[in-house]
Amino acid sequence: MIPAPFLEIAVLTWGLILLMVDAFAGKTDRRGVAIAGILGLLVVLAASFFLTPPTPAAASGFWSFYTADPLAIFFKRFALVTTILVLVMAIDYAPAIRMGVPAANPHAGLGEFFTLPIFTCVGLMWMASAIDFVMIFVSLELVTMSFYVLVSFTRRNPATLEAGVKYLILSALSTGFLVYGITWIFGVTGETNLTQIGTVLATQEIDKIPLLFGIALVLVALGFKIAAVPFQIWVPDVYQGAPTPVTAFLSVGSKAAGFVVLLRVLTPFLMLPQVGRLLVGVAALTLIYGNFAALPQSNLKRLLAYSSIAHAGYLLIGVVTFSGAAVAYYLVAYLLMTLLCFAVLVVVGNSGGSDQIEDFAGLAKRSPFLAFAMLIGMISLAGVPFTAGFLGKFFIFDAAIRQHQTMLVVIGVITVGCGFYYYLKVVRAMYWLTPPADSQPVPLSALSRLTMTLLIAAIFVLGVYPQPILNALDQPAARATISMFR
Amino acid sequence: MVTLGDYLFVSGLLFTLGFAGVLLRRNLIIIFMSLELMLNAANLSLVAFSRFRTNSLGQPNYDGQVFVFFIITVAAAEVAVGLAIIVALYRARRTTHVEDINSLKF
Repeated sequence: MIPAPFLEIAVLTWGLILLMVDAFAGKTDRRGVAIAGILGLLVVLAASFFLTPPTPAAASGFWSFYTADPLAIFFKRFALVTTILVLVMAIDYAPAIRMGVPAANPHAGLGEFFTLPIFTCVGLMWMASAIDFVMIFVSLELVTMSFYVLVSFTRRNPATLEAGVKYLILSALSTGFLVYGITWIFGVTGETNLTQIGTVLATQEIDKIPLLFGIALVLVALGFKIAAVPFQIWVPDVYQGAPTPVTAFLSVGSKAAGFVVLLRVLTPFLMLPQVGRLLVGVAALTLIYGNFAALPQSNLKRLLAYSSIAHAGYLLIGVVTFSGAAVAYYLVAYLLMTLLCFAVLVVVGNSGGSDQIEDFAGLAKRSPFLAFAMLIGMISLAGVPFTAGFLGKFFIFDAAIRQHQTMLVVIGVITVGCGFYYYLKVVRAMYWLTPPADSQPVPLSALSRLTMTLLIAAIFVLGVYPQPILNALDQPAARATISMFR
Repeated sequence: MVTLGDYLFVSGLLFTLGFAGVLLRRNLIIIFMSLELMLNAANLSLVAFSRFRTNSLGQPNYDGQVFVFFIITVAAAEVAVGLAIIVALYRARRTTHVEDINSLKF
């Protein structure tokens, strides 16, 4: 039996060891670093199933910052799986990194590109467990700062550098809002611990205006992380410019961590009716903007960026209706289908050189397997029945109807219709357009083929049998966490 | 006698100045400075809250002061990474003006 904090310590230590190995590896091939990273994370993932159950009375000292409840464990596994899949993509992306980093040694930069996601993973795992604003702030910054470096990694490419600078400025701005918001919450309640804040709010008469000001600033900062309108302006540019595996990591890992923190932060504040009304408005705007702005896109990475904004809207409906299980299931479905699409994009982009939708013309004739993988990813994102994406939307709308959020359901259903148009545009390009005359089959490594097959299988299995995910959160302690949202 | 309100006013002023700087200035280095100003505004009000919200024994609430140390450390790390990225941009483009950073369509 392993205490939960050892998971993060193990990942962090493994990341540092790999960084050291990379520093002294000279001219050997760095792909070994990525393989070692994947294996290490798999071991930690396996270890996460043998944790010592948390003692209920331990809420002082370290345990007032850190919790190991089922929600936290669930999102630790989520972060580990995401990082493993991103590392698989990163191996395929290695040639582009070699071209993008100016250095004499052809392996320069590759080691860092493979180890930085591991440190991001540590930050994501800590974020899943954070129940104190200090811990939330520090782990959020660990994630953000490793993303600064990752986004602008291929610095020979001007678009990447530009995306990096935009991400840097807007993330640092959101950090400023977060810190100032926490300051006001601390000033009003005298606490940084979320549970203590909840106790203070329930028992003492406090000044509502400065408290709401603080919460609003914190929500602005989290809105940046989850890409909710009106804080989504950075998303399309950064997603398009960043190296593709990093874009995938940003759209899944960063967003999921934002939603965990949102669920945790909102727990003590949901008794304030203003917060609920604000979130309904943000969810509606995010749905409308994300789906409609995606319609005219011709660049697949940009299309997926707008689609990621749209999915943040569906997830926000889940947050507004306090259904933790629906949010968790939707995030898992989102992980599977988004990473599948990005994995295909990395492979095709490597051989073709760009991510325009027209480059996918006739992919079904050139590489039937890749086209099929992309097809599954796209129909799941659109929400075709028997895929994980459909059930995710179903649970979210079901929760919304039970909470009488009719307006959100109507907007949600209309925007799903929009989604069909732009996702199927990609499918049309792959299956109905003719490939260019000089096109070659796209080479695909065995590791990527295995990963894609597993992702496709998972999308269908979870699409008809969602119980494993729902049960993971449906334990007594989890029920207590979720019932707090009611 | 300086009151809590005075400190919060100055801190609010610093935060507004920083935010205005981010929105209005066009040089990346100045924008980055303004961002640091926003973090320091938070530090000032945290210390003020900590000093004036005393417990029953008359001691300050040290949680706020400890948080300030975390913010200072994180801000320093952020500057290190951020300036490195801006330097890389300057080497590639020979400019640090935001108007020149527009190759990705908005």
